[in-house]
Amino acid sequence: MTSKSFWITLFSLGCLGIYLFATAPPPLVDQNIQKATIPVEQMFTLLQVENAAARLIWTKEIVGEGKKVGLKFDEHWRDVDLEAGPLPALFLRETAKSMEKSPVRISLFLGSDFPISPDNRFEGLQQEKFQILRQTQQAQFFYVPDIGLHTGMFADIAVAAPCIECHNKHEQSPKHDWLLNDIMGAATWMYPASVVTLEDMLKAITVLHQGIQDAYAAYLEKIKTFAHPPIIGEHWPRDGYYLPSLNVFMQAFLQSTAQHTLPVLGALSNSRQNIPLKETGHDIVE
Amino acid sequence: MNNSTATRKPQHLAYKLGIMIGLLALAILLLPAYDKFHVRGPMNSGHDTLKCESCHQEAPGSLRQQIQANLRYAFGQREHLADFSHQAVSNENCLACHERPNDRHPVYRFLEPRFLKARENLSPQHCVSCHMEHKGQRVTRAEIGYCVNCHKKTKLRKDPLDVPHDRLFALKRWESCLGCHDFHGNHIMKTKKMVGQIIPAENIRAYFRGGASPYGDDRHYKAKKEVNHD
Repeated sequence: MTSKSFWITLFSLGCLGIYLFATAPPPLVDQNIQKATIPVEQMFTLLQVENAAARLIWTKEIVGEGKKVGLKFDEHWRDVDLEAGPLPALFLRETAKSMEKSPVRISLFLGSDFPISPDNRFEGLQQEKFQILRQTQQAQFFYVPDIGLHTGMFADIAVAAPCIECHNKHEQSPKHDWLLNDIMGAATWMYPASVVTLEDMLKAITVLHQGIQDAYAAYLEKIKTFAHPPIIGEHWPRDGYYLPSLNVFMQAFLQSTAQHTLPVLGALSNSRQNIPLKETGHDIVE
Repeated sequence: MNNSTATRKPQHLAYKLGIMIGLLALAILLLPAYDKFHVRGPMNSGHDTLKCESCHQEAPGSLRQQIQANLRYAFGQREHLADFSHQAVSNENCLACHERPNDRHPVYRFLEPRFLKARENLSPQHCVSCHMEHKGQRVTRAEIGYCVNCHKKTKLRKDPLDVPHDRLFALKRWESCLGCHDFHGNHIMKTKKMVGQIIPAENIRAYFRGGASPYGDDRHYKAKKEVNHD
């Protein structure tokens, strides 16, 4: 390189550096990586408390009490000619489906080692982690490298009589001796970052709440097609042939989790430090 | 020396003229009216009137910010690459029109850890794994026996077929699945009860290539068209 070429190259690179860095606008935000300090495991744990509470209300108050007054629940509840609502596993799936519509990349799945449908049986790494969960009774956290998602698995416990009654009676069920408080399967949460901000947590909780609301709203829409629909309003199936309105259902759900979730979020907001969370929320709804 | 410079003058003029014509042609081709000249290939079935910007949305930030961010990434000062010029096309673009409550195989379901083998073989968590755009087809996956990846253990409570499903699985007749079942479950149809009456594999392949639907035209949900189409 001649002396002239060298100086021209140096001058060009200098101009490019000034253009790109010295006079450039602020750098693009990198997904709030710098501000994230909360381990994603804490977010999973908080979400699972909320999810468990919604599942308990649905299973016990809607499915369990509803069956006593003549409401039906079925795997094929979306079929036009079937007057039925979603079974608990399908209510969770409805919730999860709604959550996927959000730009927040939080995912929720439900599975088991004894599922009614063999297609839903855990396999591979998920099965290995579930066996450890079953033995230790501890939530399992791991990373799924091929899709880059951090994962949390939480025990799905038979918290209400309808859980075991339905699974024990179902002719497709591979196990007919479930007992109350057995670990029947696991809820699996997935998220693309190992650490999150408080804002990320709030967004994820909001998405879950919206998912639960959408799942219940879908059921109420189906109810409208019934020949003799139950009265929708303030009352619950335990009072008779009634269903709570969307607002009443959501109020009951939010009240059942608020005493746990709000203090946790408040503590995180104040200290921005990790604090221990309760792993499952089955006992907070009663 | 002077002679050499004199002979190069017309050459330089030709270079400049060529560059100017080239730039002008490029500028004209980049006008929205000439979109069809710079797409990668023919649009897939049903997408003929789709606007480019329905899927190809501008990436956040200015050109300088994007270069800056990617240089930072190259030097380890940033965790993620920044989209350059346009955002990567994702499932969200497809689902903006094609999301349905009755989807039997929504893409997100395959993110669950247990679907690792299916992800390795098919990448079903991405719409474009089967519906690559700009190919002039409907389904760009050539083989039709992909159900084998997840349904080897499927059992039916009341099998309606004359040849039971588990027998078909044992015979590895995986190309027959789509003869009764459309993958996303959006067609309103009655499934056959005799294997001899199912839709032939060639008809399914023709449908994949963009032909008429062998499942009929009645659908539970139509794709949302009004926003993104011309």
